Amino acid sequence: MDLDTLLSYQWGGMLPEFIIIITATLLSLLDLFLPKDKDRKLLAWIGLAGIVAALLVLFTQMGDPIVTILNDTYRLDSFSKAFKLILLVGTAFVFLLSMDYSRHDIEHRGEFYYLFLTALLGAMMMASSADIITLFVGLELLSISSYILAGLKKKNMNSNEAAFKYVVNGGISTAVILFGMSYIYGFTGETNLFNIQAALQGPLVAENSFLIIFAFFLLFIGLSFKIATAPFHMWAPDVYQGAPTPVTAFLSIVSKTAGFVIILRTILTIFISAPGLAVVHDAGINTEPLLVSIQPYISVLAMLTMIIGNAIAIRQHNIKRMLAYSSVAHAGYLLVPLASLSALVFEATWFYLIAYLFMTLGAFAVVQHVAAEEKSEEIHAFSGLMKRSPLLALSMSVFLLSLAGIPLTAGFVGKYEIFMSALGTAQQHYILAAVMIGTTIISYFYYFNIMVQMFFRPGNPVLHKRRIPAGVSFVLVLCIIGTIGFGILPGIPLDFIQQNFNFNEFFAQP
Amino acid sequence: MQDLYNVYQNSYLFVFVFLLLGILLPIVALTAGKLLRPNKPTPAKQTTYESGIEPFHQSWVQFNVRYYMFGLLFVIFDVETVFLYPWAVAYDKLGIFALIEMLIFMIMLVIGLIYAWKKKVLTWI
Repeated sequence: MDLDTLLSYQWGGMLPEFIIIITATLLSLLDLFLPKDKDRKLLAWIGLAGIVAALLVLFTQMGDPIVTILNDTYRLDSFSKAFKLILLVGTAFVFLLSMDYSRHDIEHRGEFYYLFLTALLGAMMMASSADIITLFVGLELLSISSYILAGLKKKNMNSNEAAFKYVVNGGISTAVILFGMSYIYGFTGETNLFNIQAALQGPLVAENSFLIIFAFFLLFIGLSFKIATAPFHMWAPDVYQGAPTPVTAFLSIVSKTAGFVIILRTILTIFISAPGLAVVHDAGINTEPLLVSIQPYISVLAMLTMIIGNAIAIRQHNIKRMLAYSSVAHAGYLLVPLASLSALVFEATWFYLIAYLFMTLGAFAVVQHVAAEEKSEEIHAFSGLMKRSPLLALSMSVFLLSLAGIPLTAGFVGKYEIFMSALGTAQQHYILAAVMIGTTIISYFYYFNIMVQMFFRPGNPVLHKRRIPAGVSFVLVLCIIGTIGFGILPGIPLDFIQQNFNFNEFFAQP
Repeated sequence: MQDLYNVYQNSYLFVFVFLLLGILLPIVALTAGKLLRPNKPTPAKQTTYESGIEPFHQSWVQFNVRYYMFGLLFVIFDVETVFLYPWAVAYDKLGIFALIEMLIFMIMLVIGLIYAWKKKVLTWI
């Protein structure tokens, strides 16, 4: 390849990624050459500035036509812009939380900040590529950075255990994903998702559709480790509990969003027109599409995830474990639009992830502050919070109500969208919708248990009363505005999707 | 279609043949050696071979973790040279694009080296 072809690509499309990688490299070098005793908060501000700059560039790219670089290795369409927005906003909030995280627990501040950026870079590559190999490299960049982040409290046994479990489980899931990808590559000889899609319509595939279904399951199971859906959720509670709170927030929002992005991208592009099982009709034998054949299995997985996540969350005493199971349950809700193959799958998933971002990050911000004050992450650390700091208690209630899906909050609108996507298809999925409502009611138990603790239990004597740090309060204010604002005026984000994102671009080949 | 299948199955035949050879080779070599060589054991002959050094105490000792750090760094730079050789040989064909790729690759490795250096991996206590 000569220089002219190289320069003919629109590298400007990759500007957000370039900004993030340059910021991450800069931070790592600065951290090495700054004197030891100098405060590392400067690094956090530089990192935050990098993320904000990438966000601004992303906003200027809205409405631009599809950009593809090097045969779809990099692909910037509406889908990737929409989800990169969530990834960037989520990481910016996590940065604000991490600035105020205890210096005693994490001594390696530099690594703490720039590993978030490398993980973000991996997630962004997962959102904007249509090539199996690049997607996999992005996934690994995200995973390996998160393994280290989970173990950054070096002297804490729980944190070490979390990192170890995460590495082992992540390694297994990576192996399964690669096995699935190798089958797909063996079938088609292509790594580009659109070429695979075309090759899967050939006669060789039709004769061996069982193998392509096998490949589908390997890929789906491997990726569902990443989003922590049952029965592959076992790592989540331990890792969420052991990891530092900002890292837990990162895993539960950015990592999960990236997992859904890669699931939607690979599965909907590769398998959209692949042949599935043969069905015997009165008129003869027909082959139904693969996505229809596997629909019952994904539905069962979504239902299991909702039931297991919500049921086990009731029994938890540690608030971070409880939020881990709650995030498992939310992954179950998020699988519903995919399982019902709704035409609104992108809109419903995007909106729910935005709502989930605001309510979960807000909840983790409160958890981080209360844990710093009480030196405990147990649920009874919240008792009497209303007397100690009413503002914190009230904002936590807003996030809990939203997580539970009570009207006038963003969580309700998100659930409503998902609910309608399950019932809005030609063949209505009543069972999925019913399980979703039933498990939502189960979730009231544990969300409202915390509210009981905050409002009706006598408080502990305050041991380490401290002011709410600026970063945490900024996150809290933004999250409350997001949670209530999108709950009362859901038209704003929905119009924003309509105007800026044309999700049909997802399937468009240049 | 049938051709593709034959190619596919033949590739597995190759794997099988290699597996068989890999298992048989050590078995045959060791058995033949045992049959052919004279057997006169002495205590000196039965000690562990340590490149000429007199072996001392057990092999189950804890190694300094720095061995692994050195090992890791060595492997990284070893791989770098392995990548550089074919690139240098085929430089004329690959052109400017490969040059840029290689530069990015080497800058990343240099940053890694600076990291290891500043974190005092290169000093032995």
